[in-house]
Amino acid sequence: MKLTRRTTLVAFAALLSIGTAMPAYAADLIAIITPSHDNPFFKAEAVGAEAKAKELGYEALVLVHDDDANKQSELIDTAIGRGAKAIILDNAGADASVAAVQKAKDAGIPSFLIDREINATGVAAAQIVSNNYQGAQLGAQEFVKLMGEAGNYVELIGKESDTNAGIRSKGYHDVIDEFPDLKMVAAQSANWSQTEAYSKMESILQANPDIKGVISGNDTMAMGAYAALVAAGKGDVIVVGFDGSNDVRDSINSGGIKATVLQPAYAQAQMAVEQADAYIKTGKAPAEEKQLMDCVLITAENAPNLETFALKN
Amino acid sequence: MFKRLTCLIVAATAGALSLSACKILPTPSGDEVDAAAFNPDAMVTEIWTSRVIPYLQAKAASFAEVEAAAKADPEAAGTKYGNPNKQASSPWTYAVTLDGTIVGSNTKSRAATIDVDVDGDGKADARVQFGPAMRGTSLRDSLDFVNFNEFTNQIDFAQYGKAFNTYVDSTVLSKLPREDLEGRTAKVLGAYSTNKGSDLPLVTPAEVEIGPKP
Repeated sequence: MKLTRRTTLVAFAALLSIGTAMPAYAADLIAIITPSHDNPFFKAEAVGAEAKAKELGYEALVLVHDDDANKQSELIDTAIGRGAKAIILDNAGADASVAAVQKAKDAGIPSFLIDREINATGVAAAQIVSNNYQGAQLGAQEFVKLMGEAGNYVELIGKESDTNAGIRSKGYHDVIDEFPDLKMVAAQSANWSQTEAYSKMESILQANPDIKGVISGNDTMAMGAYAALVAAGKGDVIVVGFDGSNDVRDSINSGGIKATVLQPAYAQAQMAVEQADAYIKTGKAPAEEKQLMDCVLITAENAPNLETFALKN
Repeated sequence: MFKRLTCLIVAATAGALSLSACKILPTPSGDEVDAAAFNPDAMVTEIWTSRVIPYLQAKAASFAEVEAAAKADPEAAGTKYGNPNKQASSPWTYAVTLDGTIVGSNTKSRAATIDVDVDGDGKADARVQFGPAMRGTSLRDSLDFVNFNEFTNQIDFAQYGKAFNTYVDSTVLSKLPREDLEGRTAKVLGAYSTNKGSDLPLVTPAEVEIGPKP
């Protein structure tokens, strides 16, 4: 009898503790919207944001817009409909996204942009982006050094709707064009895509077999280009990427791709969630809407310390 | 000045419709409209003598003083010798003066540099960019009246940063001698940011005086 009573008590206590762990109201929701997770960079953003949101006691709604502005608009509607308290967004186009972010704002939901800017201020609560120009200059300076300030090279450019494609290309050229002996024999967009970079590189090589280097707007395109170069027996061509993915890290470690530039994607996504949390709790937006995060050059020296878009000390 | 900047930015975003209000010549394609409306070189030229040089002169201290302060407390040093409103994750950029002797140079590279000894021990203490190719945006980043939030996007902000380097190269560096530099004196007013590597601190100059051959 005693035993039973104790068991009941224990059971009752257990029930109570479950009760406190599950409040009557569901946790506040934060929507996390990024491009496709096929690119590990965007996946790292989503994972970083989701982890931070859960850590801070939120429910996370993770969605992908696949760089389609219409789909992004629908996802914003979904976030509004689900009563999200904040949106973490890596957007689908600097111009096309302004209306979508405005729509969320009109519905009383602040957006915290990461990675890519939009061409408007006062619409998003925050725009936390990598200093792509600074990063591109780092990558280009290393590229120039590796090339010995001379030789034929190819540039692979990202998706045109993404500001970062333009800014990186600009950062590259502001450095490389100062060296007249470096000759760009081809420049093509491979839309951030590994498979597209592979096929573009194949055809570029047919027209320009004599190339010494490839500078790429991101790591997935660098991976595609390097695979095409290896397939053509040109594995010694100097390839430099941008992002700091684990794939490129492994390639650098094994002497393939020569360098990349790390964007702190994981930390950036987490910072956005922290700012969203502060906004939800205090109603205060960050002091500066536009915030730049510096990038870091990754070479064989520090590549071993790179893991999931973060550099271990 | 930034009122005008805002006006230019509005013009650039709004496109041809509002261009007339800013007295900007209309140009057909999107890119050209942007280039016509946003002119970083003109913006830098306009503020160089009136604001940039006086600011750097007022903020700068000797290399020895800035280095010691930066090592002791980067943030306090950055506030004193640089831009306290800098982006949170960017390194501090300090205004600095160098007064010493050139002990090394690399003018073969397009990104030429001179190495300056300021404490008289015969060893280089700082490396000064000598153009025509120049790295980074130290001059822009040292200025406390420049704010990224007042630019349409990173591209404009970057072009603005680059315009400082271009201006210094065309008005100062391209007029300096490039041969037989070792042993000559160098006086420099410029800016640099702390670097973690083992390389010499890289100073981007705003003013440079090279002494006669010894």
